[in-house]
Parts: sequence; structure tokens; C-alpha cells
Amino acid sequence: MIFLKLFLSFMKIGFFSFGGMTMIPVINDEVLVNGWMTADEVMDIVAVAEMTPGSLGINCATFVGLRTAGLAGALCASLGVMIPSLTLCMAAAHFMMKLKGNRILESALSGVRPVSMGMLLAVAVTLSCSTFWEEAGVWENMGRLGAIAAGIQWNLVLIAAVCGVLLCKVKLSIPKTILLAAVMGLVMG
Amino acid sequence: MDKGFIKIKKERIGRLVEIFLIMAKIGCLTFGGGWSIIGQMQNEFVEKKKWMTEEQIVDFMSLAKSFPGIMIINMSVFSGYVMEGAAGAVAAAFGLSAPAIICIAVVTCFYGALKENPYVARLLNGVRCVVIPIILNAAWKLKGKALGSKKALLLLSASFLLCAFTPVSKPLVVVGGAVLGLILWREEEFHDIS
Repeated sequence: MIFLKLFLSFMKIGFFSFGGMTMIPVINDEVLVNGWMTADEVMDIVAVAEMTPGSLGINCATFVGLRTAGLAGALCASLGVMIPSLTLCMAAAHFMMKLKGNRILESALSGVRPVSMGMLLAVAVTLSCSTFWEEAGVWENMGRLGAIAAGIQWNLVLIAAVCGVLLCKVKLSIPKTILLAAVMGLVMG
Repeated sequence: MDKGFIKIKKERIGRLVEIFLIMAKIGCLTFGGGWSIIGQMQNEFVEKKKWMTEEQIVDFMSLAKSFPGIMIINMSVFSGYVMEGAAGAVAAAFGLSAPAIICIAVVTCFYGALKENPYVARLLNGVRCVVIPIILNAAWKLKGKALGSKKALLLLSASFLLCAFTPVSKPLVVVGGAVLGLILWREEEFHDIS
């Protein structure tokens, strides 16, 4: 049955990947073997995922489900890809609530918190590189400062800076700031 | 059933609906890898609703990244669970994905036209830019919860360098942080935050 197959395939994708671009090879394996999509279509869906809100995993599941079995298929596949979160994370959250105030958990979390923040800052850096530079070759050109400066898309840096001021100083809400960023992108992106 | 019980039940359902709706609102705006969700959840659930603490946001952020599956769905399951139990987790996860599922269904129909459209590309360029200040703003607001000592600052720097400049897997970094936490914070006195 196609619905069950979609559900199981995407559940597998969920369990064996850690989100984002790391999902592409796993997705490729499943959908190509089943003949649900071609390799080109997988790349298209990555582009579509960029255009729409939500993560690549959910978007891909919806797209494949829609293609192969309509709306019901889309729901089955999306539910499948969410199963790891709904089971593993739910269990982890349960234990964390149970162990609240436990010394061992608290000291482990004391180490995890700064690591979290470091990770978040690292995301900001890698996102800046991929957003503000024209090509992905920033690291290869590291030796040549001229090449690095030339590759910066200053209009995008300006949009980000304006949004930063709006968020921190003007205290504009996040949704409104995102909308404004889209408008600024249209005008000068 | 007595009236008190019904009242509690009604309140719970109201909260579940609210979690679903807030997550759906956030779900409409998670572009560019979804990390802006940290800023949005901090704003909605910590600052406005006060249903979560800043510590929880910081803790769940790295756990969500370390568990298999989709980071933003993991994040919503963790958060939903601490707010309203298993039902809260389901409400949060489905709330977050509902807009994505609807959008993709619509975009798929018009994909050919959208792909070549230069205005769409520009619009998305703008949206991609805003994710960075949102992340930095969230990091700034949450910094107090992670930085209380020199050893914390050291861990933060190490994790930043590892995640930004090496291909080390994120779950490994988080496990490393937990192990170092167990060693370095062994003697610490923890005040009951709750």
C-alpha cells in the first residue's frame, strides 16, 4: 500500500538524518530506489524548500507524497518524517522534566548551555558566509583579501544591518521585520 | 464530573489551541534553515506568554540539533512537552508544519513560473538576510543563561570554533559539552530555579 510505504520510507529518512542539507543523500536513497522522483527533481525540491517556510525534510515529504498519492500521501509522508521527533524527543523531554533539579543533569546541562550558544553563533557565521558572498568559494579564496572583499554583496549586508537595528533598537516584532526584509529584498536584493 | 475539573480541562484545551496557533504563526516564517525559530520562540513563549524559561530554550536548542530528525520539529516537540505534556508536543509539531505543508502544495503547482522569476529570488534574498540578525539578537538575549563563568566562556569559544570551522558533527559537540559539564560543574551548588 502506497500510504504505508510513504510513511515508512519517510520515517526511515527522519531517523537516519539530522536535518538540513545532511538529509539530501538519505532522501535520495529512498525516493530514487522507489522511483518516486528523479535526481533532478530532488534538486528542484531543495530549491522549492528554500522558497517556502519549513524545513527541507517536511517540504520534501509533502512534495513526494503529493506527487505519488495526492493530499493523503502528503500527510502520511509528513507524519512519517515527524515520528523521530515525536518519539525520541518526547521521551527525552519527559526524562528531563522528571529529573529536574537533579545534580548530575544540572551539571551536564551547565556544560551544554555554553556549547549551545557557541553553536548558535557558529550558525550565524556560516549563514553570513553563504548569504553575503556571491559564490561558495569563500574559504578557497581566503588567501586573497581582494577577492574576498570583491565577493561581498553589500546590498544584502545593508539589509541585514537595517533589520538588526529594527530588531534591537526599534524593537520591531520578528514577523514584521521579516516582511520588511522581503520588501527590502525586492527593492535592492 | 465536577465543575473544577471541567474548568481545568477547558483551560488546557485553550492553551493547546494557543500553542498550535503560535507555532503555526512561527511556521509561516521559518526560512533559511529555520534557526530564526529560536528568536521567535524566545519572544512568544518566554517573553510574552512566560510558559517557558530562557534556560529551556538554550537547553532544547542543542538537544534538538543532536537528536535525529528535523531540528525545528524536535525543538517544537521539546518545548510543547514542557508546556502542555504529550498533547502540547503534538500541537506544537503539527502547528509548525501545517503552514509548510500548505505552502509546498501551492508552490509545487506554480513551481515552473516561480523558478525563473527574478522577483522571487530577490524577495528570498531579503528574507535570508534577516535570519542572521534574528539569530544574533536571540543569542544576545539568551547570553546570561549560558555565560556565568570563565569555564563557560571557554566552552562557548571551543564549541563556536568547532562548529564554524571544522566538520565535526553537532551531536558529538553537544555530548562533549555534557561530559565536560559533568566534570567541570561537579562541585557546583545548584539553586532551585523553578
